[in-house]
Amino acid sequence: LSVDAGTVTGRRTLERALVADHIRRLAETLGIVAIAGALLLAFGLTSSQFLLSGNIRNIFVQISVVGVAAIGETIVLLAGGLDLSVGSVVLLSEVICADLTATHHLPLSVALLAALGAAGGIGLLNGVLVAVIGIEPILATLGTLLVAAGLAKLILGLRYLQVTDPVFNDLAVKNVLFNLPIMVAVMLGLYVVVSIAMRVTPFGRMVYAVGGNRRAARLSGLPLVGMTVAVYVVAGVLYGIAGFLNVAQIGLVSQNDGMGMEFQAIIAALVGGVSVTSGGVGRVERTLLGALIVGMMTNYQTIKGIDPAFQQAFLGGLLLAAILADRLLRGRQ
Amino acid sequence: MRAIRRRLFAKSYIDTWFLLLMTAALLVAFRIAQPGWLNGHTVQNLVIQNTPLALVAMAMTFSIISRYIDLSPGSMIALSGAVIGLVYTAQGSLALAIAAGIGTALGAGLLNGFLVAVVGLNAVMVTLAAFIWARGLAIGANQGNPIDVGSGLSTVVNASWHGFTLTAPVVVVAYLGGWLLLSRTKMGRYTYAMGGDPTAARRAGINTAVYTVLIFLLMGAMIGASAVITVGQLGSAQATAGLGLELDAIIAVVIGGTRLAGGEGAVGRTALGVIFLSILNSGLLNLGLTDSYFQLYRGLALLAVLSVQIVVRRVTDEEERRKREQEQLSAALATA
Repeated sequence: LSVDAGTVTGRRTLERALVADHIRRLAETLGIVAIAGALLLAFGLTSSQFLLSGNIRNIFVQISVVGVAAIGETIVLLAGGLDLSVGSVVLLSEVICADLTATHHLPLSVALLAALGAAGGIGLLNGVLVAVIGIEPILATLGTLLVAAGLAKLILGLRYLQVTDPVFNDLAVKNVLFNLPIMVAVMLGLYVVVSIAMRVTPFGRMVYAVGGNRRAARLSGLPLVGMTVAVYVVAGVLYGIAGFLNVAQIGLVSQNDGMGMEFQAIIAALVGGVSVTSGGVGRVERTLLGALIVGMMTNYQTIKGIDPAFQQAFLGGLLLAAILADRLLRGRQ
Repeated sequence: MRAIRRRLFAKSYIDTWFLLLMTAALLVAFRIAQPGWLNGHTVQNLVIQNTPLALVAMAMTFSIISRYIDLSPGSMIALSGAVIGLVYTAQGSLALAIAAGIGTALGAGLLNGFLVAVVGLNAVMVTLAAFIWARGLAIGANQGNPIDVGSGLSTVVNASWHGFTLTAPVVVVAYLGGWLLLSRTKMGRYTYAMGGDPTAARRAGINTAVYTVLIFLLMGAMIGASAVITVGQLGSAQATAGLGLELDAIIAVVIGGTRLAGGEGAVGRTALGVIFLSILNSGLLNLGLTDSYFQLYRGLALLAVLSVQIVVRRVTDEEERRKREQEQLSAALATA
């Protein structure tokens, strides 16, 4: 975009470019809403069970854990990073929640604090490795994936931990919003809070600045190291919350919980239009739509009795479609 | 003599020396922890167990240098293996099954390469999608159960000569070939050029689309070979084959000293990285640790090596800078 700001034509070009930019952004958001709507319509027309309120509730319950984890992953991606430690941190948080309440009979608030602390701690480790030491995010978070999974399995051993605290059950069963349970309300609440925070708080704006143009952010005097560490810590805490919700949903903690959730979170963000390769592109609330689209597809295939393995293959295809759509919308970079 | 010494200890080899030191330290540590592990068969076992990692890491060197990181190899090995199993079950011909398996791997490489080079999609995202869909198809091929391929392939792949199986020469040939390809051919030079500056490479008249597809095809070939070897070693195609292999391969390449940012690196370095990672994995496994300690120690060891590597690099860069400044200063003083 070359603009000669001194002349009238220049100003007009600039105005036109700004309007075009606005329309394109609107189209992107509307586009994904339209895709979600079209899927809803198509699935509703071809299945008598899909639009039943019980099933809609199911979809929301099924995406709530990944949905919360995806908020964290989205913030990291927006800041120009990548986090592969999601699933392990979810498992670690689950194990701490369940072990402290069920085995050591501590109050839930203490257990939750400890779990979120540990999750934030892994996030801190990620942040230090990436920002202070300078290891590439994909490798640093792969290392912490192993460390967190190792720690979690060390505590868990070969047990299945069953939680008994009634709060867990309430989270998954008690309805608060229409017929949606508390855990879904927690997820939606987090999306509202984080979406607004990303727009109005200095933290949110700095995330976009750091992710969009690292050099410019550094030259403007933004605290790059501190910001990057903060982003990974916030993300870690969000994975911790996701783990807490997962315990509530299943009522049981086992070795393979959370496995591969990093990829589910990345897919939700990608389908929602967040860029994995260049930071600063995307919106947190669109990740929710991405998670919903994935959730609806999975749910529909389950209703139709499709083998879960082929559901995974479909998911890969969906991801490819999302990337292609992104390429068509935004053009070659 | 001095020239040789200067070359050997040049800055560009600092990563290599550091890695050799780490490998030696690892060997000593495992030797103390488990004296029986390091014996006459250790090398043979290392090669047999880590052939797919070695082959994929070789091709991954090209991927990383050209900045087209490929996340699909692990899933693709499982999918190609499943195709071998399915075709063998349906047709009963091993040759046909192997051809189909290798064809699948090459076809997937061609598809990924086409999507990246011609359609212009991002390599990480394309291969992430492949990572997911290929694993889904591999599991769906037989509801997650192994597909038996008879004993014909196993007898060939597991036939040993002084403890070495067919895999040893395959790995050696792959690395020699990879080294020649990267350092002595046009494709190698263009791989560096595309990774260094893709726009400049295109403007210099390099047909980047063709060479991008070739890089993905090279990965496809290594995936095909790995799939045949994996299926042969186990006598069946497993849906979980190659799980996490792509990330291991990336780690091996980076620990070897090739930068993830692209534009530089070498196949020989990857070989050292693979050796280090193989020793780490096998040594830890041999300690008979539970899964939890295995993952914990592995994670800590990798993070430690990556951290120290970067710190060492930074210190030598700093020294280099100081030396250069001092020379400039003395030159300025001399002229004044």
